[in-house]
Amino acid sequence: MRYAMVIDLQKCVGCNSCTVACRAEQGTPAGVHFHKVVKYEAGRYPNAKMKFLPMPCMHCQNPPCLKVCPTGATYQCEDGLVLIDHDKCIGCRACMVACPYETRHFLWDVACYFDGQLPTPFEQVKQDSFDRGTVVKCNFCVQRLVQGRLPACVETCPSQARTFGDLDDPESEASRLIVLHRGTRFREELGTEPSVYYIKG
Amino acid sequence: MARKKTDYERMLKSIKTTQEWFEPSPYKWQRVDPKEKGGKKTLYGLCRACMQGDCSTLVHLEDGVVTRVEGNPDTPPNYGSLCAKGNAEIMGLYNPYRVKTPMVRTNPLKGLDVDPMWKEVSWGEAMDLTAEGLKKVREKDARGLVICEGWGERDTIFRQPFGHAFGTPNEIGSHGALCTVHYATGLIQSGYPVAVVDLEYCQYHITLGRSLGPNFGIVPGMRKFSKAVERGMKLVVVDPRSSYEASKGEWVPIRPGTDLAFLLAMAHVILHEIKVYDKFFLLNRTNAPYLIGPDGKYVREAGKGKPLMWDDLENKAKPFDAQFGEIALQGTREISGVTCKTAFDMICEEYVRYTPEWAEEICTVPAKTIRRLAKEFIENARIGSTIEIDGFTFPFRPASLNVERNVTNRRGGTYADLVGKIINMLVGNIEVPGGCLSCSYRGPIMGPTGDGTVTPGYEAVPKPFKFPPDHLSMAEFYPHQHTAPHLAINAILNPEKYHLPYRAEAWMSVGGNPIRQNAQPESYVEGFKKLSFVVSIAYHMDEVAILSDVLLPEHSALERFRVAPFYLQHQSIDNEVNGLKMIQLREAVPPLFNTRHVDDIFMELAERLGILYGEGGLYDQLNKAIDWVDKADGLNMNGQWKLDVEKKYTLEEIFDRQIRGWPYSDGKGLEDLKKKGNIQYWKPRKEFYLYYYFPDNKTRHPIYMTGLKEVGDELRANLEKHNIGFPGIENMDYIFDLYRPIPHWVETSEYKPPKEYDLWAINWKTPYIGNDASNLTGNPWLAEIYAKDPWESVILLNPVTAQRKRLDEGARIVVESRYGKIEGRLRISELFHPDAVGVGGSYGLGTRQSSPLNRLGPNFNALLSLEDKTLDGVSGGQDTAPAVKIYREEVKL
Repeated sequence: MRYAMVIDLQKCVGCNSCTVACRAEQGTPAGVHFHKVVKYEAGRYPNAKMKFLPMPCMHCQNPPCLKVCPTGATYQCEDGLVLIDHDKCIGCRACMVACPYETRHFLWDVACYFDGQLPTPFEQVKQDSFDRGTVVKCNFCVQRLVQGRLPACVETCPSQARTFGDLDDPESEASRLIVLHRGTRFREELGTEPSVYYIKG
Repeated sequence: MARKKTDYERMLKSIKTTQEWFEPSPYKWQRVDPKEKGGKKTLYGLCRACMQGDCSTLVHLEDGVVTRVEGNPDTPPNYGSLCAKGNAEIMGLYNPYRVKTPMVRTNPLKGLDVDPMWKEVSWGEAMDLTAEGLKKVREKDARGLVICEGWGERDTIFRQPFGHAFGTPNEIGSHGALCTVHYATGLIQSGYPVAVVDLEYCQYHITLGRSLGPNFGIVPGMRKFSKAVERGMKLVVVDPRSSYEASKGEWVPIRPGTDLAFLLAMAHVILHEIKVYDKFFLLNRTNAPYLIGPDGKYVREAGKGKPLMWDDLENKAKPFDAQFGEIALQGTREISGVTCKTAFDMICEEYVRYTPEWAEEICTVPAKTIRRLAKEFIENARIGSTIEIDGFTFPFRPASLNVERNVTNRRGGTYADLVGKIINMLVGNIEVPGGCLSCSYRGPIMGPTGDGTVTPGYEAVPKPFKFPPDHLSMAEFYPHQHTAPHLAINAILNPEKYHLPYRAEAWMSVGGNPIRQNAQPESYVEGFKKLSFVVSIAYHMDEVAILSDVLLPEHSALERFRVAPFYLQHQSIDNEVNGLKMIQLREAVPPLFNTRHVDDIFMELAERLGILYGEGGLYDQLNKAIDWVDKADGLNMNGQWKLDVEKKYTLEEIFDRQIRGWPYSDGKGLEDLKKKGNIQYWKPRKEFYLYYYFPDNKTRHPIYMTGLKEVGDELRANLEKHNIGFPGIENMDYIFDLYRPIPHWVETSEYKPPKEYDLWAINWKTPYIGNDASNLTGNPWLAEIYAKDPWESVILLNPVTAQRKRLDEGARIVVESRYGKIEGRLRISELFHPDAVGVGGSYGLGTRQSSPLNRLGPNFNALLSLEDKTLDGVSGGQDTAPAVKIYREEVKL
């Protein structure tokens, strides 16, 4: 079992449902998003378009963050997921320097959503697990995977632009899409071997 | 590596430094109840974050707290997906800026930045004051009450019946004046609210001034759109902005506000250059062959009978429903000494002058492009082809063109909508697979009148004239109006000018905020100050709330118990939901604060006013009401399930009766609905296309708009009878030029403005703020993201224009129309036509007591106009692309 995510850039319409679903699912504090959508323009008037690049953590097969982690807090699972053991993280932030995708966040503080206000009941319930002074990131919704569900960003996508599956299974939708549409990976030349593939970009 | 300031923090800082700041003390949320710890619960939800409001959700609670709202898998219309707004609804629930308890103003002074000095009161006291205030108005003149509805509160079944029971005709909408998109679809295909693209079959679609789904993040639209693009549908987006949708197809930039010229030229090319059109459709399914006399009216049998057409084989005129050897589409004839032409000929004649070269001067779309698009449209329409669905043979026309608010909203906008329909009719695609489909009730509504043309529906049915007028919104002068808060506020400010025989005294707000979301907010504030009593059924401290005398706090979206009928979608349609009839349930999250359900408020108010029971009371009015959009297929009080008007009911009991009386519930009630959260019924697919009910030559769509002419003629006659002009307009021909039977070129108020106003401001909906339910602009989860979005909350300008104006990226600039001005930060973008100034979304105004995020500008609406002469005379629609000048903001020393 080797998990991969495939994102169809033709279908993606840059609505950021994925980013907000991730925030809702993970309860990340204000200012922290495990997922981002980079939005930019391509071309010159009158041939100009909007373009979007949704970016979860790449869950690299050759993760630079893991190599530099002094405590072993960052570890890699058999199924390809790269996770963080919060109890071991000392907040040195070497991983953030190493990561070429800017996917990690350091919790300078656990701030409130409503500026100048106190934590809402949602924050009270969801943010117990966030420790100041540690680094957090996307975990491919591992808590949902164990229940047989898909990551929140994949399920919520209104354009159905995201597929999640097993690369070890050549018949899986993810494998098929990568082969059929020649899936590419972001900053492939760095040799990180991401598990997130983009098609039709 | 130091901590970087996020875009969100920078945005918050900019609000604090540029706006008056009111620092509230933080709201002390109660700690999570330890008794609830470990508890897990899931409720059926129904999202309310956008206009569609039909995404089926699951609302998860942990420890008594809502921790997740997600799409309900396998359930239509969203099948598990959910947009950013829906995912963020939790922050609308746990919003510290909500109105949490009834309050009464103690400061008589009113203003957006004036502290009302609220006093917290009990519900009893608040309702006493409200009932007293309304009673006074009712005793004096019931018309003095204005009930202003809006998209902030779409979970009420009692609001309209309350207005009827009270006796006021003045229910107005805060919304819709910038979106008057309903007349043409009501006239041509008896539909409502609009016509949409068939994403299941369409191969070629031209879209103007609207969204198919992605542009403003509507889930079912996005679902269908992505599939259509994947299967190869070609999309052409004619727009001053390269939008989300334009980025997936071909973008044709156009000068703002000039779509009418483009559309007229498209029609010209089809009629005069390509000369290929669906002749069968024109002859048999439109009034194109009808003979028209010199007075512009139908030539009739013996002068007053049925309209006539010419039979080329028998060489004589016959009534339209006679047997014909060969109907003549063209030709001038003499009938009883009167020269008459076919309607088709008259349209062709009028459209000779609308060449692509003429249009290019006005709209900047190259003539070559207009010709190419017209050619592609005709080629892709596959005129003459058919498709079989459920054993029924339909004409198959996989090409269509739809326009919406950024085209219709200006003088001549109704004409632009009608020209779009003419283009569709030239390829015969009305209400057939692949073509132009309305999103209304599916049934035999396109049946012919005595004249053989489609019976007009919804807003194409004129409201009756009366003088002096009853309606604050001037429905008597704008008989095809949509909502008209701007006309209402004009009448409040100047009752004599509008011949109003009474005065507006009280304003009851039910989810509507025209102050922020219409135009010229200062005028609205002035108008509000003239009222003697303002009561808000309020969710949060918005512009209307801060001017209110009494606040009746209502539940947030998640807390509102609701049973709702599923309406067809307004952006686009495909096989995921076509044929679906459904009732949906929202189970309420327990209320956090001292708020009440809006319909409980209405029932109690009605009781206190003595209008709950009996004939004509609230319950009786509900019994009589028929769903405006979905007619008999909606949730009505039917047959034995009507309410006993002398008994009291709970909302649950009423919903149970509505479900039982629904034509497709098969005996089920509320308890059954609670099992799955919805009750579905799928009709055969062939019944989805309205062509099915009146095929072949059984009905005719008007391509010559006699209906429009008739209403105009009658209105003019009524004005002359009462010896009045058209209110607010110097020369009434300015209005009646818009009531001619052939839509033609007319100038908007923003066409050829004074030299220094050399650009036009434009607006669009964004994926973050579909409408204003639960104060989405103030939702921090969305704000964090729109703070990072390059095209949000900024003023956008084409690079050539920016250079010409010597303005740099990031400069603070002023955008000024002849009606108002706004400031904001400049962003240079290749995505905009050189004549456009882009100010998207629904940002700003705000008050000193609202969420600070509501003060974030720029507030596009402040650039718009309330003036009568800027409106479309038929729909009353306001101009959404005002002529503006831009300059650097002066630095305050």
